[in-house]
Amino acid sequence: MDQDVSKHNGFIRFIQNTMNSVLSGGKQYITRFKTGSIGTKMSHLVMGSGNIYHKQFAKGLIFLGLQVLFLSIFIFNPEINNTPIGFKALGNFITLGTEEGTLFGALADNSMLMLLFGVVTFGLIMVFIITYLTNIKSAYASDLLVRSGAKPTTFKDDVTALFDSRFHVLLLTPTIIGVLTFTILPTLFMIFIAFTDFDREVRPGLNLFKWVGFENFTAIFTGTGEIAERFFPVLGWTLIWAFFATFTCYIAGILLALVINKRTVKFKKLWRTVFILTIALPQFISLLAMQQILSEHGPVNAALLNIGLIDEPFAFLSQAKTATTARISVLTINLWIGVPYTMLMTSGILMNVPKDTYEAAQIDGASKRQAFFNITAPYIIFITTPYLITSFIGNITSFNIIFLLTGGEPNVPGNIAGKTDLLVTWLYRLTIEEGDVNIGSVIAIFTFIITASATLISYRRSKAYKEEDTFQ
Amino acid sequence: MKKLIEIKDLTKSFDDVQVLSNINLYIRENEFITLLGPSGCGKTTLLRLIGGFEFPDSGLITFEGKDLKSLPPHDRKINTVFQKYALFPHLNVFHNIAFGLKIKKLPKQDIDDAVKNVLKLVKLEGFEDRNIKTLSGGQQQRVAIARAVVNKPRLLLLDEPLAALDLKLRQDMQYELKEMQRALGITFIFVTHDQEEALTMSDTVVVMRDGEILQIGTPEDIYNEPKNRFVASFIGESNIVAGVMIKDYLVNFEGFQFTCVDKGFDPNQDVDVVIRPEDIELVPAKGEIDGVVTDMIFKGVHYEIIVDVKGKEYVIHSINPQKIGAKVSITFEPEAIHVMEKNAKFT
Ligand SMILES: Nc1ncnc2c1ncn2[C@@H]1O[C@H](COP(=O)(O)OP(=O)(O)OP(=O)(O)O)[C@@H](O)[C@H]1O
Ligand SMILES: [Mg+2]
Repeated sequence: MDQDVSKHNGFIRFIQNTMNSVLSGGKQYITRFKTGSIGTKMSHLVMGSGNIYHKQFAKGLIFLGLQVLFLSIFIFNPEINNTPIGFKALGNFITLGTEEGTLFGALADNSMLMLLFGVVTFGLIMVFIITYLTNIKSAYASDLLVRSGAKPTTFKDDVTALFDSRFHVLLLTPTIIGVLTFTILPTLFMIFIAFTDFDREVRPGLNLFKWVGFENFTAIFTGTGEIAERFFPVLGWTLIWAFFATFTCYIAGILLALVINKRTVKFKKLWRTVFILTIALPQFISLLAMQQILSEHGPVNAALLNIGLIDEPFAFLSQAKTATTARISVLTINLWIGVPYTMLMTSGILMNVPKDTYEAAQIDGASKRQAFFNITAPYIIFITTPYLITSFIGNITSFNIIFLLTGGEPNVPGNIAGKTDLLVTWLYRLTIEEGDVNIGSVIAIFTFIITASATLISYRRSKAYKEEDTFQ
Repeated sequence: MKKLIEIKDLTKSFDDVQVLSNINLYIRENEFITLLGPSGCGKTTLLRLIGGFEFPDSGLITFEGKDLKSLPPHDRKINTVFQKYALFPHLNVFHNIAFGLKIKKLPKQDIDDAVKNVLKLVKLEGFEDRNIKTLSGGQQQRVAIARAVVNKPRLLLLDEPLAALDLKLRQDMQYELKEMQRALGITFIFVTHDQEEALTMSDTVVVMRDGEILQIGTPEDIYNEPKNRFVASFIGESNIVAGVMIKDYLVNFEGFQFTCVDKGFDPNQDVDVVIRPEDIELVPAKGEIDGVVTDMIFKGVHYEIIVDVKGKEYVIHSINPQKIGAKVSITFEPEAIHVMEKNAKFT
């Protein structure tokens, strides 16, 4: 109950904080214009004039240069691959191109680049606004220094400060630029693609694609069309897979840990080492090995044929006759590969269950069984819930295992979504093999929403656990 | 009062290290007894032996005359409050307390009533539904006590139950524990290494060191008549001087002879003499035990004054301040002198 309130408060506070900072930013803008020197007033129009007014020439010229650079990009619209960046890019972003290509070699507008450059231009505008505000702030700061009788900082001072008191700015700037270009920009691009009809028919530069609003989303989530028919089985299997992959490993890991931790078991260290070794082996090697071992001419089939259990090779994976066979195979292999992790983790937890707690239960007359089911089991579940959630998320997006073992197959004729395809492997096949980029984007967004919300939940829970540490 | 628990010639070792040797002790009904001793002296081990979580190498523990050896912990009518509470983190307050009663399959109404009653006793009425992790340390401590007493044990073992609490809370809980013990009429064995806690709470104090019992007695006995140097210095501050017992009622130390109230030593036997800081009075130097005031600290009720007598420091508690550097004489009544046997092992 308390938590709910604080959650809401957190959200409301976030909105309030944002509004407040926008408001106070606006107020500041006005005060600076009203009370600033003539230089600062000028800075609102011509960047850097405030600094130049205070004889901070280098700084002022940099600001001025940035303004000239930005304005020239914006006005002259330089072109890359015949697609402009700048003011025109904003228009192009809205239309995504008007020039249809012809069969006789005339190129069409490149819708994909137009979309991309639209996003880039938005980014540039944001950067320009920040620079603009910084320019005013810098001019005003000099005003204040002069007013208080001090000298405005020199360029050398500023550069020195960048390596000293403002070193974090120097360090963080490349990071932020990197995140913007390599994470935020592609993500935005992908999100926008989901609202277009960029599918297998489209070859950017040869023909156009256009905005279609939520059409792709409705086609997938509410439609009864082809794509929806493929999506829901894949989603269903993804969830089933994530559920079983998580819990089989989890339960088997706990049982194994219980067995190894038993006092009567000899060579405990040896057992643990064996399991750690399997972890040390790169996963894709184990996966490829498993795929070979279970293949048509692999040792398993050879052995089964030899002892006469089967008459012809049994298809475990991509060639499996039924979906269920292939699915059970991948789940089993996943169990085999995943169990050492859970075993090691729960082993640690089991050793850490406070001995007092057992004894307290013992005084209360609990038998060994009761102590296990009433104390140990709930304790383990209680402690491992965040792990369960993370591992569930991991399994939703576990690309390697499916891709390397079955490649999503067995396939149904005429349907690219195979019987063991997860959302992520299907996404891969849709975009890379089929070229249905828009549908792929929708699925990527959808997967992201699932995993992101699960991650958030587990993060919140794990914070609760930190507080709980106090009484262990 | 009747003896509830009797421990005879108990020894216990872990991996060849003797942890308890030759423990002899009896505990009467409704007694509040404290095991006091420095860290590692075997207090917890003794409790665990009584509780049934460890087994003695030799010796006997009887409960109302019956040997406890073959009884598992839950059949012993003994319950434990663990130092770190050992509450079940996934259960709420009610279910933590009701755990044992449920295992005993008591009717629901009885369980509800019992839980309600103990919660009242530990002053946590209305906390039934609270999650354990939302409770403060002191409240968790109370839940742990409630869980222990709800099973109506005859004997409650408390292993440093207050160690994790801050000073103020600890003092409140000391008082409340004592009240609870009276209200419930249960015997308490309480472990602590805080001598003040031991003195204020107990009917009987058992001072231990290195797996041995050094002295058993009422807090007054232990404080006023410590048996040796170790007990004397462990129980509160004291001035301990080597001396010689010339004959009954006459002891020599610091080069002077003093009449005292002790007797029964051999003539000219080497002894240790204890004088508590509050029993010393300072007078202007008069040519007996003379010294110089070297330090003085105000302690609220009294001043703690340090007097240097030929290189040996005496601690004096007095309500009268002294000037630092003043020349003074140390004086005391014959009753303030406590003579102890000198024991090479306990220096
Ligand atoms: N299970 C055990 N195995 C080996 N040695 C042990 C075991 N339990 C206790 N000891 C040893 O026995 C000695 C007494 O330990 P005990 O826990 O009884 O001390 P304690 O008086 O309770 O100390 P503290 O005040 O620090 O709690 C210590 O030296 C300890 O290392
Ligand atoms: Mg202890």
